[in-house]
Amino acid sequence: MSTLDLSSETTRRLHGRRVHLGDLLLQGIAGLAALAALVVIGLIVWKVIDGARESLSRFGLGFVTTVAWDPVHNLFGAGSFLYGTALTSLIALLLAGPLAMGIALFLTELAPRWIQAPVTALVETLAAIPSVVVGLWGILVLAPTLRDHVEPFLHRTFGFIPLFGNPQTGHDIFTAVIVLTIMILPIVSSISRELFLGVPSELKEAALGLGTTRWEMVRGVMFPYARGGIAAALILGLGRAVGEAIAVTQVIGGFVGTPVNLFSAGDTLASKIASEYQGAATNLETSALIHLALILLVFSLLVNVFAQVIVRSVARRQGLTGVRR
Amino acid sequence: MPKSGLFRTTIALAVAAALAAIVAASAGASPAKKQDTTLTGAGSSLIAPALAVWKPLYGAARGVTVNYSSVGSGAGIKAITARTVDFGASDAPMTADQAAACNGCVQVPWALTATVPVYNIPGVGDTKLKLDGPTLAKIFLGQIKTWDDSAIKKLNPGLSLPSTSITVAHRADGSGDTYVFTDYLSKVSSVWKNEVGSATSVSWPTGVGGTGNSGVAAIVSSTPGSIGYISDAYVIQNHIAKARLKNASGRYTLPSIKSIGEAASLVKTVPADMNVSITNPPKTKNKKQWDAWPLSTFTYIIMPATTARAHDLKNFVTWALTHGQPPIAKYVFAPMPLVMIKAANKALTTVHS
Repeated sequence: MSTLDLSSETTRRLHGRRVHLGDLLLQGIAGLAALAALVVIGLIVWKVIDGARESLSRFGLGFVTTVAWDPVHNLFGAGSFLYGTALTSLIALLLAGPLAMGIALFLTELAPRWIQAPVTALVETLAAIPSVVVGLWGILVLAPTLRDHVEPFLHRTFGFIPLFGNPQTGHDIFTAVIVLTIMILPIVSSISRELFLGVPSELKEAALGLGTTRWEMVRGVMFPYARGGIAAALILGLGRAVGEAIAVTQVIGGFVGTPVNLFSAGDTLASKIASEYQGAATNLETSALIHLALILLVFSLLVNVFAQVIVRSVARRQGLTGVRR
Repeated sequence: MPKSGLFRTTIALAVAAALAAIVAASAGASPAKKQDTTLTGAGSSLIAPALAVWKPLYGAARGVTVNYSSVGSGAGIKAITARTVDFGASDAPMTADQAAACNGCVQVPWALTATVPVYNIPGVGDTKLKLDGPTLAKIFLGQIKTWDDSAIKKLNPGLSLPSTSITVAHRADGSGDTYVFTDYLSKVSSVWKNEVGSATSVSWPTGVGGTGNSGVAAIVSSTPGSIGYISDAYVIQNHIAKARLKNASGRYTLPSIKSIGEAASLVKTVPADMNVSITNPPKTKNKKQWDAWPLSTFTYIIMPATTARAHDLKNFVTWALTHGQPPIAKYVFAPMPLVMIKAANKALTTVHS
């Protein structure tokens, strides 16, 4: 008895100490990992602010609204690129949102089972295409096609709206919008699909049992249930669109200004940085480009915070059924 | 229990390995460990084809490997300023700011090439379009909007020009080609000089930007009514129509080894900083020089005046200026004129270890 006690006591002690040691180790490693992420973010922010200092002190807050980029006369501003970024990403979101909902609904509710898996895989593959490849396809295929067929049609039909002016080269804001739409579509649709799959089947069956049509069920049960998640998915898509550089650089045509016509060249924050950084001739231009990066960083941060706020508030409103995704 | 022990050991090993890797990597990144049989450079994309030709030739001749990354002139100047490479390469000579930042750098011209206006006008074949400087400037200022404008018609009697509107294509990234092109326009148009100016990247009054020579070539070849400018080497690859340009001697010329060489031959004196612009070369009555191409340019190698690699760098540049010139002619690099080679050699003597 006593020996047994002793041995069990020893084991417990040993065991206890070992767990304690393991816990410490785990805590240390995990803590370090978390710290590393924080340090990296901190370093990036510090470095970006440091790099932008020259431009910040020279142009101040006016930088944000100034529509100019003139390396010869040392006059720089973010206005034109903020405009381009907002315009392209918002329209892309407007196009990708409904499309993604359609795909997600089709894959969860409407498609025959044998279609679901391959189509899901294909949509996810779309997300795996490197953006430089999408951009290349944009240059070689999309831009000429849009210029020769889609843009003239839109101009003829909706020409009274200033957005649809005279088509030029196909290297324009509109092509960038389509490229962005294609790039954010898989993100939004795959998250929405997961959300729709998460809607409890009892709820759906109950609605259908009450005699609703499939569309009424989707509108009355699935959308409200997944609302917060969908909003977050859309904002994630927006974040992707805002930050995309290479593919946009390849098709947007690089023009400084605030054209209302979607069929004229423009530029975005990310694509301006991508196209000019390597060739920046003066320290001030480099600093101004990093200033653009700072604005992009702040913007992305706001988008993320905004997404989290939406998700939380919707989750709270939904109370117990709250969606945590 | 043994499982978790194993797990822990694995983690500990992994952490140790990761730390070791980081230490090793940071040690490897230090420039002190560089081997003496390699020269590293970065910069201009215009000179990149020449360096690709030179690498195997120079390796075979002298046993030194020249590694070059074509990252753009501006980035090349940044790299040599930070001394992360042995040499930088730029199409535009360093600005006063850049030269000061580079802290005792020597720039030496080592190749001679050209940029050319290219166009896509339905019904107008290769080299049929004639332009002069002021007209070209007005097109790129957005003042001439259609191809049947009277200013263009006047230069092209007998050519049937469509009423197609003009789409201007330019570089969206900073580039030596842009420097050459805007340097020329600034010389032939006071409006251009005052409103836009010349640099590797400018604020374009009109038009659409493409990334790299290939980007501009793609826009021009796919857009009827467009005009742009690209390195002559790229025209050959892309089968795009080149425009004839009227030079100061009143001759409509095209870029070629000969006409680029003629432009360079008009250089009489070379300043100490080697900053020689040969765009819009002066008028001459000498028939051997009167076809000078107005958009010609030298491109430069930039080295620290004091460097441990002085010996290898000098050997390489001397070789490039002599043996290196003939093999790059196929990419439309014209031979360097004697006066420039002399000046380059003189500048090289200031590089020491």
